Amino acid sequence: MAEVRTADTASTTAPERPGKTGQAGPAKPAAKRSLKDYRSEVKPTWCPGCGDFGVLAALQRALAERNLDPKDVVIVSGIGCSGRLPEFVNAYGLHVVHGRALPAAQGVKAANPELTVIAVGGDGDGFAIGGGHVPHAVRRNQDITYIVMDNQVYGLTKGQPSPSTPTGMQALRRSVSMPKMAPYEGVLEGQLNILAMVIVYGCSFVARTFSSQATEMAKTIGRGLDHPGFAFVHAMSPCPTFYNTYDPWKESFMPLPDEWDTSDRIKAIDMAMEEVGDGVFHSGVFFQDVYRTYTDKLQDVYAKAYGDEQATIDALMDQYA
Amino acid sequence: MDQLDLTIRIAGENGEGVLTVGDVLAEALARSGLYIYTFKNLPAEIKGGASMTQVRVQDTPVRSPGDALDILMVWNQENYDIHVGEVKPTGVVIYDPDECDADESLALTQIGVPLQTITKTVIKTMKSKNVLAFGILTACLGIPFDSAKQMVAESRWGRRKEFLESNINALKQAYIYVDDNDIDLGLRVPVNQRNGHAQLIMTGNDALCMGALAAGCRYYAGYPITPASDVMETLAKAMPRVGGVLMQTEDEIAAITASIGASFTGAKVMTATAGPGLSLMVEALGLATMEEIPLVVVDVMRGGPSTGMPTKTEQSDLNLAIHGAHGEAPRIVIAATNTEDCFYTAVKAFNLAEKYQTPVILLSDQHLSQRAQVMSRPDLSQVEVVERKQPDGNGSVSPQEFDRYEMTDDYISPMPLPGRHGQHYVATGLEHDEHAHIDYSPEAHIRMTEKRHQKIESAVNEPGFVQRYGAEDAQLGLIGWGSSEGPILEALDRTLAKGYKVAALIFKMLHPLPEKEARAFIESIPVVSVVELNASGQFANYLQGRLAVSLKRFNIITGLPFKAGEIEEYIEGVLQYG
Ligand SMILES: Cc1ncc(C[n+]2csc(CCOP(=O)(O)OP(=O)(O)O)c2C)c(N)n1
Ligand code: SF4
Ligand SMILES: [Mg+2]
Repeated sequence: MAEVRTADTASTTAPERPGKTGQAGPAKPAAKRSLKDYRSEVKPTWCPGCGDFGVLAALQRALAERNLDPKDVVIVSGIGCSGRLPEFVNAYGLHVVHGRALPAAQGVKAANPELTVIAVGGDGDGFAIGGGHVPHAVRRNQDITYIVMDNQVYGLTKGQPSPSTPTGMQALRRSVSMPKMAPYEGVLEGQLNILAMVIVYGCSFVARTFSSQATEMAKTIGRGLDHPGFAFVHAMSPCPTFYNTYDPWKESFMPLPDEWDTSDRIKAIDMAMEEVGDGVFHSGVFFQDVYRTYTDKLQDVYAKAYGDEQATIDALMDQYA
Repeated sequence: MDQLDLTIRIAGENGEGVLTVGDVLAEALARSGLYIYTFKNLPAEIKGGASMTQVRVQDTPVRSPGDALDILMVWNQENYDIHVGEVKPTGVVIYDPDECDADESLALTQIGVPLQTITKTVIKTMKSKNVLAFGILTACLGIPFDSAKQMVAESRWGRRKEFLESNINALKQAYIYVDDNDIDLGLRVPVNQRNGHAQLIMTGNDALCMGALAAGCRYYAGYPITPASDVMETLAKAMPRVGGVLMQTEDEIAAITASIGASFTGAKVMTATAGPGLSLMVEALGLATMEEIPLVVVDVMRGGPSTGMPTKTEQSDLNLAIHGAHGEAPRIVIAATNTEDCFYTAVKAFNLAEKYQTPVILLSDQHLSQRAQVMSRPDLSQVEVVERKQPDGNGSVSPQEFDRYEMTDDYISPMPLPGRHGQHYVATGLEHDEHAHIDYSPEAHIRMTEKRHQKIESAVNEPGFVQRYGAEDAQLGLIGWGSSEGPILEALDRTLAKGYKVAALIFKMLHPLPEKEARAFIESIPVVSVVELNASGQFANYLQGRLAVSLKRFNIITGLPFKAGEIEEYIEGVLQYG
C-alpha cells in the first residue's frame, strides 16, 4: 500500500535543500566497473552493421571509464531505431514519445541534479519533430549530454528523408527507399546543418564523432559527460539498411585541425558551415566553454528564497487572509 | 432579520480600474466577517473593451454569482446600456450623469453621482477616482465612514503611505456627497472586525496552488495560457521557497514530458493548462499511463474549440479529458467544485496520482479559477499526504530479478527511483511485460491492459467524490459535476423551500465513473436531468453510454457560469410542465 502521512510531516528535505544530496545513498568504494557492467540483459535489435552498435559501445565504455553507478545514471530517449538504446544499457532508462527526449531529460535533471542524465535519439527525433526543444535545452544549460545518432534518414519508419538528408538527388543513389518519397527531383528541402545550428544556439559544448571510430567516439562522449553543462554530441551513425553512407563517410571524416581553439564560437560556426562545401566531416570538439548551469542558478535562487517548507506554505496562505 | 444577500456590479472600460474597485470591495467585505463570491467578465484584450466585476455578499457561504443586480455602478454610457437590463426591479443604478444619460422610462432607482467631475474638481488626483467610487458604494451600503477608512487603509490603496492621504480624502468626498444629497438606500451591511487568519479570500487557482504545495508538489512545468497562467505565476514565487523547481517550458508538450521526467525520479509534479494545451498533451498522457508515472495535469476549461473564448467559462473539455487518447489510456479525471474544494481536490489529485501511479486530470474552469470566495483556512496538520509505493530496502533485489510492473493484488507495483533504488529499469511507452521488457505478445498486452484499467477502477471507492443532496422521494433529479455544484445546490434549496421534490447528485470523480451511485440515483427518480455548461451534454452522453439509460439535459453555452435562478426556473418548468 502507499504510505500516508500528513502535510506537516511531508518534508524530508534537509534545511539547506536543494542539491538533493543524500538521495543517491552512501557512496560505496565500488570496484571498478567494466564495459560489461553496463550491458543489459536485452540484446540490441538493430540490423547487422548499424552504426548505433558503435554508439552504444562507446557510451558504455565512457560510463565504465567514469565508474558511474548504474543506479545514478538515467538515459532518456525518444522514438526511432536510435531511441531503443536505453534498453540495451544497464542503467535507468526513460523511453518517451517521438521527439521529446530533451524535455523529459530536463525534467529528470531538474528534479534530481545529482543524476547523470544522458539524452539520445535520431536526427528526425531531435531535429524534425523535436527540433523546437533543442534551443530551449541549450538555453537552460542543464548538465545533460545529448547524443544525436545522425544517419541522415528515418531508420525506424523504413527510410524516408530526414532534416539532415542531403538535398536533391544525392541521397537517392544510396537508398532503396528514398526514391519512393522523392521520385522526381529528389529531396526538395534543403539539408539542415545540425552542428552549425547548435553552435549558433549558444550551446556550451559541441562535438562530432563517427560510429566507426570507436576509441575516438568513447573519448568524445566522455568529454561530453565531463562537461558541466549541456553537451551536444553529433554522433554520425550510418544506417546500412536504408541509407548506406559508410563508404563516403569513411572518406570524408577527418579530425579538426591540430591546435583547434575550442573557445572561439565564431570560428566553430565558420568551420561547421565551410566543411559542407568541402564535403568533409570534422570530428572532435568544435566548441566548449563553461557557463553557469540551470542548477547553479537555482542554487542562487534557493539561497535567497528557501526556507522551512511548512512554515513557508503557512506564510503563503497568510497573503490571502 | 432577513438573510443578507446583495449582488453588486461595477462596470466600465477595461483598464479603468473598475476591477480594482470590485476587488477591494470584495476583500474588505470578506475581511469584515461576511462571505463573498466574485464574478468577472473581461474582454480578452489587455486594455479597452467593456469589463465588469460583480460581488455577491451574504452572511453565510455564497454558492453562485447571483441572479439579478441589487446595485449597478456604471462609469459610462456603453456600460449603462449593456448592464441596466440585469438590475432587479427593486435595484439601484448608480451612474455618472456627466458621462451617460439614464433611461428615465425605467422603473428603477437611479442615482447620478458625477464621479469624473468630483475627481477632477474636488479631489484633483485622477488616480483616486476608484476610491471615490468605492466610497460611494460603501456609503450606500450603510458602512460607517470609520470602517470604510480602515478598509481603504488595509487595501492596496493603503499600501503606499504617500498616496494614503489623498485616497482617504477621496473616500471622505464620497461620504460628503452621499450625505449632502440625502442618498440612503436603507441598507446597513453589518461590518465587524476582521476575523484574523481563520478565513482566507482566494481564487480557485490560488487555492489549487496552495493545495498542490501542501500535497508536496515540488516540480511544475508549464506554458502560459489563459486562464491557467496564474497557477504558474503563483507557483513561480512559491516553489523556490519550498525547495521546488518551476520551469516555464517552450510549449505544453515539453511541459508534460518534463513533468513525466521529474516524476520518474520521484518528485511530485504538476502542469496546468487550458483546452488548447491539453490537446497538445494528449500523446504524453498516454505515455504516463503506459509507464505508470504519477502526474497531475490541471485543465482550467475555457470556451472552445480552437482559441475559442479564452476569458469565458465552459465545461467542454470533459470528452477530451476522459477519452482523449490514442489506444486505450485510462486515467483518473476529477473536478473541483468551489474555491475551498480546489485546495482539497488538488491534494487529492496528488494522492491519487501517487497511490495509483497514474496521470490525474483535475478539471477546473475559467469562472472557478478566477472568482474569489471566502474559505476556512486549511489546517496543514490535517492534510493527508500519500507517497507512492516503492521497493523496500536498497539493493536486496537485483535489477535482473526485479519486476517494475509486478502483478500485485491491487495491480499497483513498487516503483524504484533513480539515485535511490538499485533496481534500475527502462520505462517505455512500448508494450512491455512485468519486467519492463518490450513485449508485443497477446498475453503481455492482455495482462498489461487489464493492469492499467483495473488499477484505477478501485479509485471509485475513494471517499468524497460523489454526493447526493435534497429530497429522498424526489420527482426530479439533477446531475451535475465540478463547478456547477454551487448554483445547482442553491437552486435545489430554493425549490425545496417552495415544496418541490427535487434531489441532486454531484460528481467530483468523472473517470473512473462512480457507477453504483449514478445508477441508484437515476433508477430511483422518475426524471433525471444532467446540468452542464456545454452544448452536446458531454457528461450526459457519457452516463447514457455507460449505464444504458435515457437522461434529460439542461445546457447553456453563454460563456458565463450558471445562475441559480436559471436552474431554479428549469426545475419549476420541468415539474410543472414535464
Ligand atoms: C508522433 C509520432 N509520429 C510519427 C512516429 C513514427 N516514427 C517513429 S520513429 C520516426 C523517425 C525516426 O527517425 P530518426 O529520429 O532519425 O531515428 P532513427 O530511426 O533514424 O534512428 C518516425 C517518423 C511516431 N512514433 N510518433
Ligand atoms: S534500419 Fe538503419 S538505423 Fe535502424 S537498425 Fe537498421 S541499420 Fe540501424
Ligand atoms: Mg535517423
